[in-house]
Amino acid sequence: MDEMKIPDDGARPDNARIPADQSLYRKIVDNKKVSEVLHKVFNWLLVLVIIASLLAFFMYGVAALQEIPLTGKTIITNTEELKKDALYKKKITLIKRDIQRLSWRYNSYTSGQSYMVINTTDNLFYLYRNKKLIRQGHCSTGSFKMLKTEEGRSWVFKTPKGKFWIHGKTENPPWRRPDWSFIEEGLPIPPQDHYSRWEYGVLGDYALSLGDGYLIHGTIYKRFLGMPVTHGCVRLNDNDLEAIFNTLNIGSKVYIF
Amino acid sequence: METERIYTSSDRSSKIIAWIIIVIFFLIYYAVMAMLAPAKKMKALKSEYGYRQDENNPVDERIFTDSTYLDFLREKSFLQSRVTMAATDSICLSISLPDSTLNLEICGVTVHRAQIRRINVSTVFSGGNNYVILSMLSNPFTISKNFSSIEKEPLMIKMAPRDTSEYVPDIIPDTADYEPVNFIMEMDNGIRLHIYQEDKLKPGDGLYRSLFNIYHSLRYAAKTFVRIITFRIPDYQPYIKLRIPRSDAKIIYRALPEKGQIALSM
Repeated sequence: MDEMKIPDDGARPDNARIPADQSLYRKIVDNKKVSEVLHKVFNWLLVLVIIASLLAFFMYGVAALQEIPLTGKTIITNTEELKKDALYKKKITLIKRDIQRLSWRYNSYTSGQSYMVINTTDNLFYLYRNKKLIRQGHCSTGSFKMLKTEEGRSWVFKTPKGKFWIHGKTENPPWRRPDWSFIEEGLPIPPQDHYSRWEYGVLGDYALSLGDGYLIHGTIYKRFLGMPVTHGCVRLNDNDLEAIFNTLNIGSKVYIF
Repeated sequence: METERIYTSSDRSSKIIAWIIIVIFFLIYYAVMAMLAPAKKMKALKSEYGYRQDENNPVDERIFTDSTYLDFLREKSFLQSRVTMAATDSICLSISLPDSTLNLEICGVTVHRAQIRRINVSTVFSGGNNYVILSMLSNPFTISKNFSSIEKEPLMIKMAPRDTSEYVPDIIPDTADYEPVNFIMEMDNGIRLHIYQEDKLKPGDGLYRSLFNIYHSLRYAAKTFVRIITFRIPDYQPYIKLRIPRSDAKIIYRALPEKGQIALSM
């Protein structure tokens, strides 16, 4: 029995040499329940890694494979022999002529006359004369509000985008209040020719008509310039409005984006 | 019992091996089908825009590998495309990758210009047949679908008050309101234009862009997957990815109509 005990005692110092974390590892491995849990966790992790890899393959791997350079790439040769060829020279002359024609046509679209550009996202305006910027500043454009009534009527207060032209110019314009102006304030709608529809001094000193009831005009709410607060018209401060009124003529283009 | 256990284990491992083989074969099939897509697209483009010899007006095909001719063709295609767009009354976008600029145009008038900070394009554009690509670019593309992190028209609905007692004056709009701007425009010819905001103005901007990209990568992957598992070659959509300042990205997205036109120069 004593002889049997000797190896046991001798084994202790060996065990003592095993680091604490390794012995903990053995304990965990020897524990059946913990081992089963670890095994399950490992399996789930493996499944997750496989799914993630497959997703990465489908989402990015395939896209990367599709971007492998194609074989049909044009290799530039620039042969001197070709440059002396009459057909080549003719082709180059033809394409140069086409470019000239297209350039002339394209440049003809930009008017040499005065025009105005309005940026509705940032509420800025730019005034051009002879293709040069002569004035820029803040303006106010449509608020993108949709006014709805219980009867089902609705109005969207946005500034239209695209190419417009000045239909008319007015000094000291009065404002004829449309139906929505009364509905918005909860007021009863007066008849079309009622005096309460007319207001003076609210549109500033000048107004330039863009058609369909849209105007470029002044405002008494100058602190809102640079913000989208209007019912679709373009509001400017007094000095900018005067400069625009004096620069643009009837027929001048207004580009709104 | 011992024998039975050994049998089960080997059966399981053979099942696993069989599944691994099936998955590998599927992935190979998938990769091959996916890789066929760009070639199919290039073939379709060649048949549509490739040069056809005219017996009455023969052309030495070496001209299509001549840099002088190709430079002129590039200029002509871009101009032609812009002239076509200018003839419409709509707001259009012209993209010049050599100049790194994006121009918003209305009837040929440049109304806004943005600088491109980063460009990443599909190999079809950089490594394909130059003549075919340049011929394709001689017509403007039409946007067919938009996907964006911001609204095209940020409409706010306001119910009309029943009488003056219910009337509340409009509040001043919140100009400090912030949304990251990233969008994708799919063209009628299958090209995808990705525009991302370059500047990281808020801490979450980078993460938001990544999430936006993951979502759309998943969408494209799902479309490809459906086509491949039904034994069809997927549609290859060459991309152009641009990074521009946020304010420009917002202006461009809001200004372009749903079915707007785009001219491109490479």
